[in-house]
Amino acid sequence: VPMYKVKPISGGHIETDLPTCMYKLPNIHAQQGNSCTSEHALQNGEVDPAVRALEARQDEIMRKLHELKAAVEGLAKTVTTPDADLDLTVSSSLSSHSCSSATFKGVTDLDTVLGKDLGALRDIVINANPAQPPLSLLVLHSLLSQRYRVLSTVHVHSSVTSVPPQLLSCLGPRHADSYARQMFQLGFTLIWKDVPKLQMKFSVQNMCPIEGEANVARFLFKLLAPYPSDPALATLVDSWVDTAFFQLAEGSAKERSAVLRALNSALGRNPWLAGPEFSLADIACYCCVQQSGSASAAPANVQRWIKSCENLGHFSPAKLLLQ
Amino acid sequence: MNKAAGGPVEVVHLSGCSFSSSGSKQSGASLTCMPSPAIGTGGGGVGGLEGWRPDRALVRVQDLTPDKADQLIWLRARVHTSRAKGKQCFLVLRQQQFNVQALVAVGDRASKQMVKFAANITKESIVDVEASVRKVEQKIESCSQQDVELHIERIFVVSQAEPRLPLQLEDAVRPDGEGEEEGRATVNQDTKLDNRVIDLRTTTSQAIFRLQSGVCQLFRDTLTKKGFVEIQTPKIISAASEGGANVFTVSYFKTSAYLAQSPQLYKQMCICADFDKVFCVGPVFRAEDSNTHRHLTEFVGLDIEMAFSYHYHEVIESITDTMVQIFKGLRDNFQTEIQTVNKQFPSEPFKFLEPTLRLEYTEGVAMLREAGVEMGDEDDLRSEHLARTYDTDFYVLDKYPLAVRPFYTMPDPNDLKYSNSYDMFMRGEEILSGAQRIHDAQLLTERATHHQIDLEKIKSYIDSFRYGAPPHGGGGIGLERVCMLYLGLHNVRQTSMFPRDPKRLTP
Repeated sequence: VPMYKVKPISGGHIETDLPTCMYKLPNIHAQQGNSCTSEHALQNGEVDPAVRALEARQDEIMRKLHELKAAVEGLAKTVTTPDADLDLTVSSSLSSHSCSSATFKGVTDLDTVLGKDLGALRDIVINANPAQPPLSLLVLHSLLSQRYRVLSTVHVHSSVTSVPPQLLSCLGPRHADSYARQMFQLGFTLIWKDVPKLQMKFSVQNMCPIEGEANVARFLFKLLAPYPSDPALATLVDSWVDTAFFQLAEGSAKERSAVLRALNSALGRNPWLAGPEFSLADIACYCCVQQSGSASAAPANVQRWIKSCENLGHFSPAKLLLQ
Repeated sequence: MNKAAGGPVEVVHLSGCSFSSSGSKQSGASLTCMPSPAIGTGGGGVGGLEGWRPDRALVRVQDLTPDKADQLIWLRARVHTSRAKGKQCFLVLRQQQFNVQALVAVGDRASKQMVKFAANITKESIVDVEASVRKVEQKIESCSQQDVELHIERIFVVSQAEPRLPLQLEDAVRPDGEGEEEGRATVNQDTKLDNRVIDLRTTTSQAIFRLQSGVCQLFRDTLTKKGFVEIQTPKIISAASEGGANVFTVSYFKTSAYLAQSPQLYKQMCICADFDKVFCVGPVFRAEDSNTHRHLTEFVGLDIEMAFSYHYHEVIESITDTMVQIFKGLRDNFQTEIQTVNKQFPSEPFKFLEPTLRLEYTEGVAMLREAGVEMGDEDDLRSEHLARTYDTDFYVLDKYPLAVRPFYTMPDPNDLKYSNSYDMFMRGEEILSGAQRIHDAQLLTERATHHQIDLEKIKSYIDSFRYGAPPHGGGGIGLERVCMLYLGLHNVRQTSMFPRDPKRLTP
């Protein structure tokens, strides 16, 4: 017998919808067609435009942060490196187009300097004697590779029996795309050959060969940036280049110390040899100073200038070869 | 004339002329030929009928140097020239590419008759000579051994040559230009080839074929070091491998068969049979009615085939490295031979780069267009341009158009108008045509149909790719052509010992 009766509080049986799925995850194996189930955009899935805008803003901020960081690091290094606009060891990690304004003021266009590209890879062929590796050209090569897409190769000519391994790898590691020659703007082919004097061949139909490391250096430099427009300054650069290759590299001990004294006094007045800007004169003199072995005994301004050059980063292939 | 019978070692053919010293002034001065049928008389003569083997060491002409001065030696050589001058007879004795001046002088060692005898020995006869080596004050420019000469004490004829030779060796070795200038004879190529046995005795021929042997040797050694296996492929085959036109037919019992135009099919089958890297050296038969300076109907093919891991450039690198090792081996070990050949056929030394220069076909075309050439002698002009720019006589041209290559060539996946195929050039002439091969039976069938090839005829070839075939590629060179181009010669018959062409079947 029931104890007491209560009127039912809720009427009848209520149907409750119990969920069968505990939680949902986007399908990590989703193909392009399944974008409706995925919540995040994969390649080109449909996504809330607001999210996309947010992502874009985030990317932009990250990029700006990176640049700021690079600039700050560069500034930190410019305490020791006079007047370099940006420290190139850092800037080389940035995208390539920001580099062109970095080292040299003034821009050259390859097609203007070298003539229209006719479909064959424009190849700069340098024949060098392994007994006298051309350090300045290696430095210029590294500058060229940052500026353009350069296909670099090293060959040994049959006139030479063998060559030490560091001369075979002096242009750096082989480019991953080297099997696809048409993807490159410029070729740089270094051939170790038994030649009395360094020689460069380019477009043999139209140009005669260029002899001597100094002259080839001038040619390569002009692919990066034009000479200073002020004729006095341009002449100064040229005169330092000649001094480097004639008196420093090939001169007697007396001539060499005279050059070092001249370098010292020039560098006392200016951060770089041709004034406020880094130029071919600095490349040439740095390489010849190092090659002649006078670096350790050099006077104070020269030592400081040597460190500044090294801070710029492109002298590393030259330094590697000297070891 | 006597022939020694039964003697296993010394078969000596004694000259008919015999004489002995007449009451020699000194004792022990023995001379000349043995009297016929007699067994050796006095001073140890050459054996007669018993085939007696004398205890004698023969010196090589190339070892006749001043440090042997005043020694008494024996040697066997050919009489290159003999010239009597009064009481003396000058002989030049030759052994392969070396020769030495020898002298028979009337004196206590030789009589007048001996001098006459020596002067009458026909050219090319093989003689045994006992002589003392003497230093000379003035270098003998015309001989390879310039610092010594031989003073002959005894001379025997081992094998006599007929007096009239079909060609004179000095004429055969004379450079063409020199002949015209001095009004002396040179021998034209057909005569040389008709009398190949004599022509091959010249210093130039000896040098050429020694170098050729070196090429073969270097080819084998380099590839074996790289892990290749040498295989032999059949030359009598049932279907023409390169196309029906240029193939020799042979009767094969009740039916007929063909002589292989290349070991192509069998090389590839070996790769499918897991040999990974193979090479073969063997004859190749092409029934091409071309009478050019670089075609033969039968030549020695050096063929390579290898499986690669990711990109067919691995094959190109392997082949070019093999070629470079061959060139280096020749440059470093065969300079004597190269100089000898250059004396008769002057040419520039062969230049190459390591690693080998590789250009693309389209680049080659653009290069020629720059030079203002649209059609014509593309190979020559391109090679000349490359020689001027890079100073190399050897390069690879990569990515040929698909339309001009055989049906089994793999097309370029990035651009179907082109193929993964390549040619290699030496001094402007093509020496190798190679490619990545199609290793998929389906694609191969499509390409064969496209080229209108009867699928029944190549059924077993296509079948070899149905049971798992690795990606592979390769190429082949002609031994004779490579030697010709390395030495800078102008006719492949000079580097083929017994050449075969549409007009020549003997010797």
